[in-house]
Amino acid sequence: MIAMLHRTSLALIVLLLPLPTLAELSRLGDEALSGISGQGGIYLSGDISINELGGPVENSYFGRCDDADKKCGARFAYRLKENGGWMVLDDIRGNFAFEGLTLRVRKVDSGFGGDGELFNRDVLELGLPNTVRFNDVQFKISASSTARPTDPGFQQTDIFSVDMRGEVVMEGNLLVFPAGNP
Amino acid sequence: MSASNRIKPVALIASGLVWVIITPWVVADMKSLDDSALANISGQSGLTMELELGLTADRLSYFDDGKGIHLEGFRVGSAIDSSGQAFHLVRVDIEEDASLNLDYLVEDRRIEFGDIRLAGAPGVSMGGVFFDHSLAGYLNISQGGSVGGGGYTFDSAYTMTGGRLGYRTNGNEVFLDDITMNVEALGITLDVVGDTLALNAPRITGDWAVGAIRYSSNPLNHGVSVDSGTGQPLPSYGSLSGSYDLSSNTGITAGGRSGEGLRIDNETVIHSASFLYKDDGKALALRDITGAYRINDLRLDVAPDWQNRPALALTLGSMDGQFNIGAIEMGGNGQSIGEVNVSFLLEDQVFNGRNYSNAIYLQGGGHPDAGPQGLRLATKWSLRLADFSYTEDGNRVIFSGLQSWGQGDVTVNVTRDGVINGTEFFDGLRIGFENIRAGYRINGLRVGSEDAPLQGGTELLLALGFYPAYEFELDGHMTLGAGGASGEGITINSDVRIRDGKAAIIAVPYDEGNGEVPQKGLWITELDYDSHVRDMTVDVTQEGLAIIKGEAWSTMDIGNLRVGDKESGRSFGRFVVQKYETGSSMTVVPGGAGDVCAGGMGDSPSACADSGGVWETRGEEGLTVRLKQVFAKAAGESRKNALTWETNRQTNGVGEAMNGTGTHLVLNDIHTSDGGDFDGDGVDDNSFGVRTDLSVDVYQTRVVKKAGGPDAMGVVGNRGDEKIMDGSSAAGYRYVANPTLLETENRPLGFAVKARSQFKELSINNIDLVHPVGGAQTAVYGVKMQNFDIKANLTATPIP
Repeated sequence: MIAMLHRTSLALIVLLLPLPTLAELSRLGDEALSGISGQGGIYLSGDISINELGGPVENSYFGRCDDADKKCGARFAYRLKENGGWMVLDDIRGNFAFEGLTLRVRKVDSGFGGDGELFNRDVLELGLPNTVRFNDVQFKISASSTARPTDPGFQQTDIFSVDMRGEVVMEGNLLVFPAGNP
Repeated sequence: MSASNRIKPVALIASGLVWVIITPWVVADMKSLDDSALANISGQSGLTMELELGLTADRLSYFDDGKGIHLEGFRVGSAIDSSGQAFHLVRVDIEEDASLNLDYLVEDRRIEFGDIRLAGAPGVSMGGVFFDHSLAGYLNISQGGSVGGGGYTFDSAYTMTGGRLGYRTNGNEVFLDDITMNVEALGITLDVVGDTLALNAPRITGDWAVGAIRYSSNPLNHGVSVDSGTGQPLPSYGSLSGSYDLSSNTGITAGGRSGEGLRIDNETVIHSASFLYKDDGKALALRDITGAYRINDLRLDVAPDWQNRPALALTLGSMDGQFNIGAIEMGGNGQSIGEVNVSFLLEDQVFNGRNYSNAIYLQGGGHPDAGPQGLRLATKWSLRLADFSYTEDGNRVIFSGLQSWGQGDVTVNVTRDGVINGTEFFDGLRIGFENIRAGYRINGLRVGSEDAPLQGGTELLLALGFYPAYEFELDGHMTLGAGGASGEGITINSDVRIRDGKAAIIAVPYDEGNGEVPQKGLWITELDYDSHVRDMTVDVTQEGLAIIKGEAWSTMDIGNLRVGDKESGRSFGRFVVQKYETGSSMTVVPGGAGDVCAGGMGDSPSACADSGGVWETRGEEGLTVRLKQVFAKAAGESRKNALTWETNRQTNGVGEAMNGTGTHLVLNDIHTSDGGDFDGDGVDDNSFGVRTDLSVDVYQTRVVKKAGGPDAMGVVGNRGDEKIMDGSSAAGYRYVANPTLLETENRPLGFAVKARSQFKELSINNIDLVHPVGGAQTAVYGVKMQNFDIKANLTATPIP
């Protein structure tokens, strides 16, 4: 139990620690640097968009984004009860852009106020970009009688809508590592 | 005249005649005679020999240290008439410079071996080879080689027409049909240097074409283009053509790897070459090929392999070289995907504590159920180092530090549809794999130049099934049938099983400059992968290269997903990925992403800039892969799409997790659909699938410093500064707060992948939680995703 608590707290610390602390963890001396031609991993710049102009379905419900009578976003429906209704994330669309999403495998064996040395393991490190630009990211949370909006007897209640735009600060690293019995 | 002087002309004529008979085997290319050369020859008085040659021998044998290889059913005669003779006309002249000139014409000749056997391997053989041709050419032999008067100089040119080169096992044949070639090889010298026979060819030029590559499953056919039963042309894989201009030095020395045998050393320079594959007139062309290679200490012995099986052994000391392909064109428009360069070194090397070398041990038999005839190549390879680079629109990405190693048996049979002793065979050339233990790894990518830092980026190609490192044990086969989706092309049927696989999804370099280290990464290990493909066609189309899968099903059982070391890294548990696809396809199209708004939205430079993006013109070259994956509804437990995650497994006596003893999360019966039954056949249409377009380019990108202070290379900058490449800086770059327009032209190059994935509907029938004792409980009664169109522009650069 204590070990589990320790793991959980370490994971939380790792998730919450700001980037400068982690950068210090991996800082190397000049002697070590002189022999290193690179350190692997990747630094990603770019953007991801969902249904920028619409999706591939054209029917009575879905259409292109310039058609005000149709929905042009994606739809994700699931149900937790056999023969029950469907929870829906509907009309999902938007664009995220970033510079500096990093991905690498590294060893944590120091830092974290001494916890790193005890941890002494490899982790998958997802370095969050400092800033993510959101362009019209939106979706609706709804409840629906059918999975497909084109099925007979379709009824849907939109519970609330989300619309995000602007810059979001996302700092630090997300460290992913196995815990528990595989 | 002394006795030895009298003997010399006779020996010359004899060696010349032998040359005429064997020329097509030895020399690769020739050229037709021009009028002036012919006039010169006709002006001489000489000896004309006309010969109708029909020669058979039950067996020709070669012995090496008492071990024999036997060529059975040897015949030289007519290609058309199996009992007929081949016409030979040879005119022998002594030129004014005392050289011997042979002007020859050969018509309708076939040279063949019915079978090849090794002593000590009863009941199995390698199969037969036949070679048809008509030849017209000359051979001039003069006294004196390159190092003095003791050798000879040869000038030769010939034209070959009506050629066929075939391989036959158990009544089935694959052959190159309608071969034509022109070859010119002038100034070839033959000398004895020490104990080595030195053959120097300062220039060999030629061109060649293969009208069709045909397959026959009718035992009554032998070296014919048209089926003897139906009268129809035999199906074709396509046609080939090419040209070349090369120089070569070859040394031949007596003595094998052990005892008797032969040693060959060779250096070849390819000044220029081209290679074209055509499928119904559409070409896949490799142009502007240049390069060089060096073969060091290749030995030929009749000697047993490492399992003591009798074999013809080809063992290699080392081989190194480099090739450059200036343009790879595909499709109807002849557009190029770019330039490729490969450098390589094949040499003995220790991988994973085991010594690997380069050797092929040729044996008879092939797959034991395919019949007694076939080839078995007990093979070892050791690619010590290779760099593969791809250049498009002048920008280069290098897949650096590629190494590969392996050992096992490759079998080759020409087979026909049917089940023999429980083994399913298909029409075509069957390449079998038996107990192959092999692997490869790359050190990383370098973008821009060879001294650029190592980086990742192969992660962006995972959708194509590319892993940066892979070790496996392989069994199975791939059978290449003749004919594609329409007309010429290739049809592939395959069954492949991988055991004890270890593949990296993400891999850290195995050598960062300080010597080899255990390669860390995210690994799929204890992998058991069972894959089956039926009727997959490969065609060159107007668009590019099209691969269409008829039916494909596979199970990828990943015993552990480990982070860190592939052997000892901690595990996320077991993952089982089952796939069942019908009508999936992949098309490779020349040209990359074109114009891209990276990091923003908009279809013009101004609209892109307004949204905070960078407008990128990624050029004409590049590569786009279009994938269509049609996930079919489940057709039984073995043919369905499902994902299982198992954890909390019990362990056996040696601490290994036992599959099936833990708790499972099962995403069951995942399938695509077009969103309804539109053709009224009672089931949902399923032709759209998941469509993914991946465009690969090498292009500049915006890299921003994430924290103030020095980076990993010691270069100082503030958070938010941009990385700008600068050759005058010690590290090759510097950080700039507000780059000028000129400075933005020096943004770092990255490996740019533009991906677009869309599907109409993707469903999961149910998500179950399965307890080893309590059984399955359904947690989610259906997931349905509709109308997705996801685009990603991602450019990978090194972590600064």
